[in-house]
Amino acid sequence: MANESLMQMAKDPNQWVMPSGNYTAQRYSTLNQITTGNVKDLHVAWTMSTGSLRGHEGQPLVIGDMMYFESSFPNHVYALSLKDPGRMIWSFTPDQDKFAPTVACCDVVNRGVAYGDGMIFANALDGYLYALDAATGKVKWKAKNADPETGATQTMAPLVVKNKVITGVSGGKFGVQGYITADDINTGKQLWRAYSTGPDAQIMFNPGKTIDGATGKPVGKNSSLKSWQGDQWKLGGGTTWGWYTYDPKLNLLYYGTGNPGTWNPTQRPGDNKYSMSIIARNPDTGEAKWVFQMTPHDGWDYDGVNESILTDTVVGGKTVPTLTHFDCNGFAYVWDRRDGHLLAANKFDPDVNWASHIDLKTGRPVVNADKMTKAGVNVKDICPGSQGAKDQQPAAYDPASGLFLVPTNHVCMDYQAFNVKYKGGFPFVGALVSMYPYNHGDVGGRFIAFDAMTGQTKWVINDRFQDWGGALTTKGGVVFYGTLTGWLRAVDLKTGKVLWQFKTPSGIIGNPITYTYDGRQYVAVLSGVGGWAAIGLSNDLHKATEGLGAVGATATLGDYTNLGGTLMVFALN
Amino acid sequence: MKPTTPVMMFVAGALVCASMWWPSAHAAAPAGGTLKVCADPGYPPYSDRDGKGFENDIARFVAGKLGAKLDYVWGDTRGHGGFSEYLARNLDNGRCDVVIDMPYGNQEELTTNPYYVSSYVFVFKKNKGYDLQSLDSPELRTLKVGFESETPIETGLQLRGMVLKARSFDIGGRSGTSPRSVLQAVEDGTIDVMITWQPSIGAYLKDYPDLITVTVPNSRATGSPEMYSFPMSMAVRKDDQALKTRLDALIKAHTPQLQAILQRHGVEMAGAAASGDMNDTAGR
Repeated sequence: MANESLMQMAKDPNQWVMPSGNYTAQRYSTLNQITTGNVKDLHVAWTMSTGSLRGHEGQPLVIGDMMYFESSFPNHVYALSLKDPGRMIWSFTPDQDKFAPTVACCDVVNRGVAYGDGMIFANALDGYLYALDAATGKVKWKAKNADPETGATQTMAPLVVKNKVITGVSGGKFGVQGYITADDINTGKQLWRAYSTGPDAQIMFNPGKTIDGATGKPVGKNSSLKSWQGDQWKLGGGTTWGWYTYDPKLNLLYYGTGNPGTWNPTQRPGDNKYSMSIIARNPDTGEAKWVFQMTPHDGWDYDGVNESILTDTVVGGKTVPTLTHFDCNGFAYVWDRRDGHLLAANKFDPDVNWASHIDLKTGRPVVNADKMTKAGVNVKDICPGSQGAKDQQPAAYDPASGLFLVPTNHVCMDYQAFNVKYKGGFPFVGALVSMYPYNHGDVGGRFIAFDAMTGQTKWVINDRFQDWGGALTTKGGVVFYGTLTGWLRAVDLKTGKVLWQFKTPSGIIGNPITYTYDGRQYVAVLSGVGGWAAIGLSNDLHKATEGLGAVGATATLGDYTNLGGTLMVFALN
Repeated sequence: MKPTTPVMMFVAGALVCASMWWPSAHAAAPAGGTLKVCADPGYPPYSDRDGKGFENDIARFVAGKLGAKLDYVWGDTRGHGGFSEYLARNLDNGRCDVVIDMPYGNQEELTTNPYYVSSYVFVFKKNKGYDLQSLDSPELRTLKVGFESETPIETGLQLRGMVLKARSFDIGGRSGTSPRSVLQAVEDGTIDVMITWQPSIGAYLKDYPDLITVTVPNSRATGSPEMYSFPMSMAVRKDDQALKTRLDALIKAHTPQLQAILQRHGVEMAGAAASGDMNDTAGR
């Protein structure tokens, strides 16, 4: 069974067999050949162009002596030999629906391939999931899990659980009714699909058994439907394009859902369940065990899709299996992952101001009235901005200290709430005015070492731009992350001191991995900033000659980097 | 180029609206009675006194299904005070009972469930082969851009620092102007690309076979949600739940026919069009 052998492989630190390293998404490696003492001697071992200039989120996989990775659209999948560094054993480019890039909202990224049972699983932007023979690249089957004609696309990295390949969906034009799908690993046949909004049968909730983590009680009948007016749940959003994790002991699959379908809160009164939620499901049946909604009736566009990191935490003298999630909304949630009971929810950016805190009893944010978005009123200085205090860029965990290493955004916004109007023949809705680094200052990103239970930040590296790439922790005491300007950094886990850095050809929005080949430890990362991050920043940091918002800014991301697509591999001498 | 921002335009409109509105109690249009439709007598392709606009066709269909006589109450939707004042003078004071075309979720009136979705589009000469897929397409920055003022496109261009170089049009704000004129501006080369609401020009595209349209997609590229497609509904007075209920039932039963009427007028449905049913669940 794929699961057993895959789980065994995931324990081997010499390989990187799952997108997040293993099912816990701790992104922690027990390799310690590279240490705080010698990392300054890290150098480029080899490189390879990805053949694509669009944004490179995600990471490669290392299985045995092969490396596999997927580029941004047009989604080239490469199988490289580690024996003959960078030699392409095979490559595969799906023949895609040309419509797909026009509906993809936020650059045509891809977050990586998955592996299981001798196959590489790759999502194409147009919604097809391909199962490729890992040795030859031949297509064994393909399954269609998203339809660009309806506005849906696919960017996430699949997860192999037992005999299933789990995928989500990215939202599109009008609010896709989000879902996750389980396909049979051998045939691609759809085994189940669970929606994020709608009637109990569609969302696969058991009214008497599925627990609302906030109340500790069963959700009851039609808990999603009751939180929407009319038929709006059908455009309900709750897309599922983030990272997935799995606890084999509890047999629970964890993921987060995105924002409600339409951005306009006035079109969807109610809590809009289950957008902005963490859902725990039994992967055999798809049925939800528990759910927790973080931002009800979202008015700020804080997506809930970020990774759910599985660790054991000592709480009140007892060891509790926990799930830690750094949400877009700026709060680091810690739950008992058995039942969704909330243990902590601290701000991981002290300047978060849309809510003062999360009420631990109800699980609901206590919203600051003066940061509530209002129709026709320009509310200023809301932090975080709608890119979130952290977006999909994954954090990592250091078991030695119990700290999380988190790449964050330190960006705020002026927001005018949507009020749909009509100017004789032309519909109009107010848009957000602008986003900018906190206080219109120089710090647009913070890379932090954070204690999720206490809310304390141990150390911070301030960066000019958002820290849009993921983190990697190692037993050697080093944490790796990449900056938006293209620096790959090695940082001392204990002190936050930058021990080494290298300027790669383009901004880094991907996630570093580490592995060994022939007894030697390597660190690999994809370099390639893509359009989304660059555009979001170039507007913000232009001199104020025109446009809205930006005042007295000094430089653009374009002064520091450019589009690119390179796989970078580093090693010691 | 107007220096005012959309925020200021909203506030100005609201003040005018507040001083003009007065409440009235009205019974819903009785079955078999008369359906009084608020419409503009001189704003093709939406509606005109000759009944040739797509709102006119929709109104005829709706009245027929309700078993009611169709009666128009004419008013200039683009006059002084704009659409808000038009609504206040005509719908809110009871001269008429329903507006055929209104964005879903609008708070000034009571909107029905949506019966179609459309979007803003790029319009340009096919043979130019411009690579335009969104407002972030690099080629857009090299072109002479025209846009309809006080629309999400104006805001999108502002966000990208492109609005000062672009040319604004005000078809929706000036009575007597025709949306056809923006197509002519592309045809003449006055502008390279016009970005406007598709239903405003859909009916005229057949007269300009060398022009093509490309949908402007909703976007979060700048981090701000930018909405360029809109579900569209009919609208009634806020206290007229009874008529809304009847219209919702009609829409639920006849969305494909309503959309067929729009398509005959060259209106391009966005997204859910293929299924013909606004309420079809996406993603299946």
